[in-house]
Amino acid sequence: MKRIVVIGGSAAGMMAAIAAAKQDPSAEVTVVTGDRTPYRRPAIPALIAGYITGPAGAKIFSPKTLTRYNIKLICPAEATNIDPESKVISILSNSEEEKLAYDAAVIAAGAYPLIPKIPGSDKKGVCTFTTYEAAAEIVQTAKSADSAVVIGAGFIALEIAEALMHKGLDVYFNVRSRILRKLLEPEVSEFLTKKFERQGLKMLTGEAISEIGGADHVEYALHKGSKIAANLVVVGTGVKPSVALAEKCGIELGLTSAIKVDNRMQTSAADIYAAGDCAESPDLGTGRFVYMPVGSVGACAGKIAGANAAGANQQTKGFLRAQADQILGLQIFSIGHSTTTAEEVSLKVRAHDLTVPQSAIKNRATGAFEVAKILTDPHDRVVGAQLVAKKHGSQFAWQLYKAVLEAEDRKEFLRRFNSPRTKVAEALVHAIKSTVVVESVGEDRALALADRVGQENIN
Amino acid sequence: MDKAIVVNIEKCLACKSCEIACALEHSKSKVLEEAVAESPRPQRMVTVEPAGEFGVPIQCRHCEAPPCIEICPTGAIQRQNEQSPVTVDQDLCIGCKLCMLICPFGVLRIGPEGRAITKCDMCWQRLEDGQEPACVEACPTKALKLVSLEEVTKPKRTAASKKLAKEIKKKSKSEEK
Repeated sequence: MKRIVVIGGSAAGMMAAIAAAKQDPSAEVTVVTGDRTPYRRPAIPALIAGYITGPAGAKIFSPKTLTRYNIKLICPAEATNIDPESKVISILSNSEEEKLAYDAAVIAAGAYPLIPKIPGSDKKGVCTFTTYEAAAEIVQTAKSADSAVVIGAGFIALEIAEALMHKGLDVYFNVRSRILRKLLEPEVSEFLTKKFERQGLKMLTGEAISEIGGADHVEYALHKGSKIAANLVVVGTGVKPSVALAEKCGIELGLTSAIKVDNRMQTSAADIYAAGDCAESPDLGTGRFVYMPVGSVGACAGKIAGANAAGANQQTKGFLRAQADQILGLQIFSIGHSTTTAEEVSLKVRAHDLTVPQSAIKNRATGAFEVAKILTDPHDRVVGAQLVAKKHGSQFAWQLYKAVLEAEDRKEFLRRFNSPRTKVAEALVHAIKSTVVVESVGEDRALALADRVGQENIN
Repeated sequence: MDKAIVVNIEKCLACKSCEIACALEHSKSKVLEEAVAESPRPQRMVTVEPAGEFGVPIQCRHCEAPPCIEICPTGAIQRQNEQSPVTVDQDLCIGCKLCMLICPFGVLRIGPEGRAITKCDMCWQRLEDGQEPACVEACPTKALKLVSLEEVTKPKRTAASKKLAKEIKKKSKSEEK
C-alpha cells in the first residue's frame, strides 16, 4: 500500500489528494494543512462584506467528499521537516510532534502575502487577506473605521475594496503603476480606473504609499506627499511562494524563487512533487516555467502532481492563465498573456483593439462589450485576450478563450469573430458539428447553413 | 438530455414568477415567508433578461457537450450520465470562475455568500418525483415549457414540409402555364 502525504489543503493540495486517490484507490492519502477547516479562499471578500461570518460559510472539501476518496485530513497542523533520505515528514499538530512516513509526497504549501517595506507597515490596522484569520482582523478594524486604504493590484484587492465600500467605508485604492497591471493592457486599466472612480472608489495611482502614520494604530497614509486619513490599511501587493520547508530539505528553487518542477510536477528530490502557489508552472504557449499563483492553474497542476505521486506518468504541455471577475458591476476577463506576463517569458507581443462585431451592435438585446484587446505573437497568432463588459461578457469571452487556447491566427479569428455567425450560430455550428448532420451534409454545408440561420436571426 | 426547457418569448410577460419559484425551490424551507429570511439567501438560477420589447427567461441549457464541464479544473461541474442535467458539486468548487468565462450563455453565477458557482440543476429532484421544474410550473402564461426534443422539432418539421410542398406546387403550376 502506497503512502502519499500532501502538504497543503487548498485547491492544489486537495486536488492532488483526490487525483492520487483516484489513480491508486488502495493508496493511503493524508493531507496536512494549517487551516482549521478547508475553506474556499475567494470567499474572503464575502467575509469582509459581511455575507458570511466565518470559514463555515465557505466550506469546501467537506468530510463527506474526503471520506468518499478515503483521504485522511490532519488539521490544523504544520509540516516542520521533510527527510527525503528516510522518507519521513515531521509535523506539529496541537503542539505535539508526529512523524509521517511516505512513499511519495506533494508540497502544496501555497504562498504568503508580501508586505512592502513602507515605514509604519507594522502598525496596528495594517492587514493582509490571504487567510481567514487575517481577514477577520480586517472585519474587526473596519467596524470602527470610516475610511480605508487598499494597496494592491490584483482582482482580490479590488474585491476587498468593493466589500469595504459595501460596508459603507470611504475606500482609497492605491496602486504604484496601474490596476491589474499583470492582467490588462494600459488602456484597459485606464478605462476601469475611470469607471471605478465614478462608482466612488478613490484612486491613488502613480506612486506607492510612502508612509503609514499614527501613534500605535494607523491614522493616515502618505501618498504623493498628502495625508490620507484612514484607520485601516489593507495590503494586497502580491504573494511570495512558501518555500521554507522545501529549501530546508534541499529542494531546488527556480529562477522565480518558487519551487522548481518539471512537466510532471516533480521537484529535484525523488518522489517529492510540488504544485500550486508554492511552485512554478509551465506557460502553455512557450513552455517556459513561470510563477502563476492562480487557483485554477494550481488545481490543474495539483491533479498532475497527485496522479504522478500515485504512480501515473502524466505530463503537461503547460497551463493557460485565464481569470474572470465581476467588480463594481463590470465583468472583467483576462485570458492568456498580457504585455507584462509576455515580457516574463521573453515573448514579443502586439496588442490590437477589438471592436464589437456588427451583429452584436444590431442585436442590442444581448448587449456588447465595453473594451477588448487581443494580443498576438510575432507569427500573428492570438496569445492573449482581455475584455470588459457590463453584462453577458462571456458570450465573447469563450470565443477569446478558444482562440488563445488554440493560438489561432489573428485574421482567421477576426473573420470568425466579426462574422454574423458569432452568437446564436456559433452555438448552432457546435451543435451541428457534434451531431450526425455533419456526416450527411458535410461540414462546409453545415457551416454555411449555420451562417444563414445566424444571419436570419440577426435580421 | 432528451428533454429541454424551451421558451416562447412572445408569451413571456417578464413577471419573474419563474425567478421566485426557482429561488424558493432552492431554499432550505421551500416556504416563501421563511425563505426570504434565510441565510445564505436562496439564489435564483433562471434570469429574465430584458431584450428590447421582450423578456427572455434564460437558464442553463444543459448542453450536449458542455464547455463548463470541460474547463472545470476540479471536476465540480459534472453530469452523472447522458440523461442527467449538468450540476455543480459546491464542495469541489474552488471559485476560480473559469466556467463563467466559458459559458456561451452566461448563465452561471457566483453565489454572493460562499463564492461558489450556482447553476440550474433542472430541478432533478422534482423530475424524479414526476413533477415539472419549478420555473416551468410557475409560469402563468406557459411561456416556459418542458418538452422533449421531438416535441420541439416535430412542428418545425411539419411546417417546413408544408412550405416545401406548397412551393413545389406553385412551381409546377407556373410550369404548366
